Amino acid sequence: MSISRREFGKLVLAAGAATPFSIVRAALAQPKPGDELVVGIWGGAQERIVKQHVEKPLVEKYGCKVRYVLGATPERRSRAYAERGRPSFDIIYLNIFESRQAVKDGVTQPPTGAVAQFANLYDVARLGGYGVAFNPVTIVYDRRKASKPVASWKDLWNPEWKGRIAWPSYPTAEGAAALLMAAKVWGGGEKSIDIGFQKIKELKPFAAIQQSQDQLFQMFDQGVCDLSIEFGSACRRYAETRNPNLEIANPVEGQAIAMNVACITVGTGNQKLAEEWINVHLGQSCMLAYAREIYYSPTVGNIEIPAELKPKLVLGDDVRKLVDFDWEHVIRMQPQWLRRFDREIAG
Amino acid sequence: MTARAGPALAAPATVWLLATFAAPFGVVILLSLHQDADPFAPLFTQPSTAQFRAILTDSFYIRVILETLALGAGVTLLAVVLGYPVALWLARMPVRWRPIALAVILIPLLTNVVVRSLGIVLLLAPDGLINQVLGVFGLGPIRGMLYTHGAVALGLVQIFMPFVVLALCGVLQGTSPRMHEAAQSLGASPAVRFWTVDFPLSLPGLRAGVMIVFLVSSTAYVSATLLGGKKVWTTGMLVWEEALQNLNAPTASALALIMTACSIGFIAACGFAFARLMPWLDGRPAEAWSLPARLVRALDLVAPAVYRSLLAVALALLLLPLVLVCIQGFNDVPQATVAGFRAFTWRWYEAVLFGGAYMDAFRLSIEIAVVSATVALGLAMPAAFALVRHRFTGLTVLAAIWALPLSLPQVAIGVGMLRLLQLYTVVPPFLGIVAVHVVLILPFTIALLQASVQQLDRAQEEAATTLGAGALRRFAFVIVPGLAPGLAATGIIAFLLSFGEVTVTSFVTTARTITLPVRIYAEASFSLEPTVHAVSTLLIIVTIVALFALNRAVRLDRLYAR
Repeated sequence: MSISRREFGKLVLAAGAATPFSIVRAALAQPKPGDELVVGIWGGAQERIVKQHVEKPLVEKYGCKVRYVLGATPERRSRAYAERGRPSFDIIYLNIFESRQAVKDGVTQPPTGAVAQFANLYDVARLGGYGVAFNPVTIVYDRRKASKPVASWKDLWNPEWKGRIAWPSYPTAEGAAALLMAAKVWGGGEKSIDIGFQKIKELKPFAAIQQSQDQLFQMFDQGVCDLSIEFGSACRRYAETRNPNLEIANPVEGQAIAMNVACITVGTGNQKLAEEWINVHLGQSCMLAYAREIYYSPTVGNIEIPAELKPKLVLGDDVRKLVDFDWEHVIRMQPQWLRRFDREIAG
Repeated sequence: MTARAGPALAAPATVWLLATFAAPFGVVILLSLHQDADPFAPLFTQPSTAQFRAILTDSFYIRVILETLALGAGVTLLAVVLGYPVALWLARMPVRWRPIALAVILIPLLTNVVVRSLGIVLLLAPDGLINQVLGVFGLGPIRGMLYTHGAVALGLVQIFMPFVVLALCGVLQGTSPRMHEAAQSLGASPAVRFWTVDFPLSLPGLRAGVMIVFLVSSTAYVSATLLGGKKVWTTGMLVWEEALQNLNAPTASALALIMTACSIGFIAACGFAFARLMPWLDGRPAEAWSLPARLVRALDLVAPAVYRSLLAVALALLLLPLVLVCIQGFNDVPQATVAGFRAFTWRWYEAVLFGGAYMDAFRLSIEIAVVSATVALGLAMPAAFALVRHRFTGLTVLAAIWALPLSLPQVAIGVGMLRLLQLYTVVPPFLGIVAVHVVLILPFTIALLQASVQQLDRAQEEAATTLGAGALRRFAFVIVPGLAPGLAATGIIAFLLSFGEVTVTSFVTTARTITLPVRIYAEASFSLEPTVHAVSTLLIIVTIVALFALNRAVRLDRLYAR
């Protein structure tokens, strides 16, 4: 069988004309049995919770399939950028600063009212995707080693902590929050970060640079450090199960905001299903499971939280007290700040 | 026909690498020539040397590159010093105990990097084992042992020592007992016999071990990150940081290529030095190694104690993760990194065996590793014969190309793969991962098999030819049995490397192909549960059983029996 150049040209034109239609049809189609949603998310408790409280009801309702690409944020983000416009993911989970840049870069979609729970999201959780969990960053320390409770971010510069601090690595969410808070409490901010670097340098030598919660907990267990800056939620679970001497500070200047964000990719073929996934994720069942199992605070205002959990979470007006930053500026400056961190703080 | 035999033997490995590795490597080269870090820039742009200039004029980058090379050299030296006694011990081991001894050596490769690092942390921490022992004698505690170059080196030696041991073991086992008898009958003491017979004859294995350990330790970044606490920097860490956190593929690619060039320089120097030490391999006459009488007496006096001490330290280092995983797999604690034992539980084993997700991932990893190891062995064997028995134009270049995947930081290969994702998705995911795994394990298999092929007794093949055996019969009944220990050791290493691979796999994994290491790595980024210990324990048990079965089928003592 042969095909002439003219016929080939016609076929290409026809395919070109048909392609947008097929994309639009797929994107707007209602979920149906057999549809497959690909979700890029962290492993462990996160995967377990969404499987139970999001996947299960969604599969029961639509007869769809859900598949996961598990991994850390940097790998997931790199892949999403490499696949911009033709994603293998329908939904990816990112951190607060990465999510806003991803929208700007055309990798993920901005949030819309197509997700019913969008109306109940706190304002801060409506940027760069759909915030699904608050897990603010604060100071954590061994209360036995403190002459007085840590009440301010400035207490980090109390000489009694010299050489005992495990500083969080930059640009993790904890590291970014620590740098920004250091700048803020000493009169700077994200637009004048130099003071932050100068003040952090004063804290050297560090006991270590910690790069993950697990590594930090190991450091506390083994007496490597006595103070650090970390997600309060993760540390609360660690304190309750492993280290009763760990204190989670509530500084007067506030805790730095950190948030997990669910993002729908640009070009997904399962738009409706992805929106429905996020809607279920923001529902009572998943938000409560987050709160109970890993002390993640809800990002929507219409969740009923049992009284015994309330003191351990950030709710209502406390959400507005979280210290927020211009994350688009932060992510733009990240390469420059990272180089500075590597040379002046770590190493 | 003979003139074409060499290129023909070299062809399968070369074609595989060209088909699967050349594209991502080419992408890395192109990216390194980008002037700016734009993640959406087209691959082909006006070439610029800006990235290279920026790196080579930055004292921080230069310092990290030099420190990485020094770390690689230190780790290699330490792995040889500790690995040699273990290889001797293994080669002299009664055959029925050999599977257990082999399993001991392989333990670090069977355990997750987080678990291994935990072992080093528990050893060196202010409240760790060393300080507790010092405390008994009223000494210490010594703070500051962790998060140093020493801690990273110790962690890397633990992981990479098995490569030296296995590379040496194959050639040590290949030394005919008649050589020892001859040396003994000429009055050589054990120390003299070692330095004049065993050591020179083990040099091909040592060369393979040194090259592998240097290359893998100078591109390592996970252990360096966990044990260096960002106080210790390696080029691999910088490549990861630039590529993934800054989305700056050009700088990451340029860094990776500079590191590759340095590594190839080291390998070339290493190959030259070893070639001078082994002139007999090129048919040149070799001078007898002789030692001054006074040195011989001193060596005879101290050698047994030094041998036992080094062996004890090496075995303790290898066994440390085993102790941890056995205890921690039954520990009722929320995270894998909790040090103290709290209460007994079976639940981590239940989660692995009946949890579904783990078993699926486990099964997939086994399938990928079996296929990858088999393909890699099939490609490496002719390549090893080409390297050892044939001289043809371009052989040196080919050998360098085969070693390339080992000298390029794996993150860089992942970055190259990322740019090819759209093409890559055309390939079925299982085959795609196998293709990448073969690329990653091929340099190991070629290096290890090269040492084994060098040790083959050509006289046996000549005898078979004289008796009328054709090429096929010689291969089946002389070469394969002679290579059996080397093939077995190389196959095991290839399997384990594929089974544990996570760096590149995490870039190319899809929703349908989550391997066990990728699953564990994904959990580690949040909080690692003790299921990882249960997985390691099960893997160790499976390996011991497999080794016993292999020992029956292959007879690892075959060379001794001849």
